[in-house]
Formats: sequence, C-alpha cells, structure tokens
Amino acid sequence: MYKKIKIIFIGILSLFLIISMIGCASGGNDLSAFMNDTNKLRVYEIFGMDCPGCHGGLENLISMVPGVVASKANWEKQQLQVVVDSKIEVTDQQIFDAIKEANFTAGKRLK
Amino acid sequence: MKNKKLLTKLSLLFIFLFACNLFWVDSLSASGISADAGLTPAANRWIFKTQFRLMQRDNHPTMNQEMTMQMYPVVIAYGLKSNIALMVRQAFVEKEMTMMGKTTNSSGFGDLLFMAKYRLVRVNKPTYTFGIAPTIGIELPTGNDAFSSNGYDLRFGTYFSGRRRRLSMDVNMLYIVNGIKKESDVSTEIGNEFSMVSALGYQISMGSDGNFSFTPVIESSYLKTWHDTNNGINLVNTGESLFLLSPGFKITKSSIIFESLFQIPVWQEQNGLQTERTSSFLIGIRIMN
Repeated sequence: MYKKIKIIFIGILSLFLIISMIGCASGGNDLSAFMNDTNKLRVYEIFGMDCPGCHGGLENLISMVPGVVASKANWEKQQLQVVVDSKIEVTDQQIFDAIKEANFTAGKRLK
Repeated sequence: MKNKKLLTKLSLLFIFLFACNLFWVDSLSASGISADAGLTPAANRWIFKTQFRLMQRDNHPTMNQEMTMQMYPVVIAYGLKSNIALMVRQAFVEKEMTMMGKTTNSSGFGDLLFMAKYRLVRVNKPTYTFGIAPTIGIELPTGNDAFSSNGYDLRFGTYFSGRRRRLSMDVNMLYIVNGIKKESDVSTEIGNEFSMVSALGYQISMGSDGNFSFTPVIESSYLKTWHDTNNGINLVNTGESLFLLSPGFKITKSSIIFESLFQIPVWQEQNGLQTERTSSFLIGIRIMN
C-alpha cells in the first residue's frame, strides 16, 4: 500500500511538472479577445506583487466584481488591466477594494 | 560559550543579509523553500503544496549506525480573509535504519498539523514590500507510533518578508513546544525546538508577459533541539544544534511553483552519541487557484 502511495505521489509531481513546463511555452490570456463596443479597458497601478504566482489570487478577486469581464495582472510592470462591461457601473473603489483583499495596494488609475 | 559565539555570528550574518536586502540598488524576490516563509495569501485563495524530502543521518565515529528518511508532506492552505490564513499538513514518512549491520524499515503517517497565520504588517510601496505575520499551530498525535511525538505539540512562529524589486528576503522563526511521550509507563518530555530560516533570492523574469520566472535561492537555517527530559533530568544522547546552507531554485509559472533545494550541514553539534546529519535534498510543487 505504501509503495502505491509513493508511486502515486511521484506520478502527480511529474504530471504537474510536465503541465507547468508545457504551460511555460504558451502565452497568458490575451485581453484583446474580450474587447468590443461595450467592453472597456482600464489600467491600474498596483504595488506589492512580487512574482508571477501573485496574479491568480488577484485576478480571481477582481473577476468577482460585478461588471468585470476579464483581468490580467503583471507583477513586473506593476499594473492591472481590467476589462469592464460599460453597461454595468463599476467604480474604481470596487476595484481598489478587491486589490486590498488580495493583499496589494492600488496606485493611480492609468487609463 | 561556543554556541553563544556562533549565535552572535549568525545574528550578524542575518542583519547583514537583511541590510543588503533593504539597500540593494536593483534586486529581490525568493520566498523560502524548506520552510514556508510567505505572508498570508489573498482572500479565498487555495494553495496546495507537496514535497519530497530525502534526509540522511550518518554514523558517529564510535557507532555503526545510519538512517535514511524520505518524507512526503502535503500542505493545504486557505486564505480565510486577506489577513488570516489557515493551513493543514499531513506527511507520509519512510525510514530505513541500519545499526550494527542490521537494517530495519518502517513507514507510516506523521502527526497532523493545523496552523493559522495572521498578517500583522504589510507595506506595499512602488520600490519595496515588507510584511510580518505571526503564526500559531498545533500538532495532533495522530501519526504512526514511529513518526509521532505522541503528544500535543504547540508551534509559535513569526515570518518576516521583504522585497525590493527582483530581490527578496524571508526570515522565518519558529519555536515548537513538544508534548510528553509515554512509553511503557515512562514519561519523557521531548525537547523543544527552535528554528530560524532565512531565504534570499533573485527573481529572473522569463517570457514577455511576466507570468514565468526563475529564481535562484540561497537559504540558511539554524536548528536547535533541546535535551529530552525525564523528571527534570536531561537525557543523554538527545538534543542537537545545526546550521545548514542550502542552494536551490524556484520556477514560477502563473499558479504553479516548482522548487528544489539541496541542504548542506556546515556546522552541527550533537549531545552525547548521536548520528550526524548529512546533506538533504528537497523537491516540491505548489499549486494555487
């Protein structure tokens, strides 16, 4: 039984390693796919992100704001891009609150 | 006395490393590998972490004894709120012990650990980030006899995290109050433990969209285990102090982190006759939602 656990463990580890390596070769989600007449792009300054692993938690919380269609963070540029549905009112404060929940600090709205 | 001198030197080393972190012109991002040295994750965020750890202890000159231990810890962490994280850890352990030419094997689950982390301070500025997060935990005696302390162990820790551009430094201090072990009506108080781990790393971004990075990491660890006691009397051949230097690396791709570390003992002191720690190896993966 213990041998089985060991094999399963090493199998899972190898599988995720392969997935992550394949993933490295592909690009991230492109927000241009979400752009149309009703969706608008906003760009915010954001401080506190220190690695690509920070993106997911932030993007998850931003996506929970009603009216947000998609988002993409970049730790290097210290920026967060948000596509919002212009038919629904999305305030900057709602975005700032989501950024705070992700443990980061919002700077200026750049666009 | 010797320990005091060493501690002074180590303290100076940590202060130096920390100063480097704060005043480095263009650098830091790492996070610990052998020890969790991060702050609290985002609210509602799940983190799954698993590792393979290979640890060996070699024979003392007067003993014909060695031990190989393989550990497979699994950690699940959850961001309850932006400033509170909960964690649970369960490890599976395999041990091979050779004594006087005779080898015995054992395997089983270790104790179940519950931990909570509270983000006390977090400062996010355009050029640096700094944070402090205390932790508290309890280890339940749920493991197989060979891998359990057979008591309720309490853990108190503090995490310091600093980032300056691509350079990062984490310091993790942990004190473990071990419980009482009962074997054949003999109660032994297991020696408490202290560890201080610092991780220094430099993040190299790869790819154009900033979602892939490679980070060389160097960790230094000071570990101390006090004597086991019986009715207040120190038991011989228990307790040790050691200092490890560990080069390693992390590969971060969006929500997946792959990490590996090689731990080299540079100094160690065991009380009485005990096996000595030799180099250890660690490989792991973290997946975040």
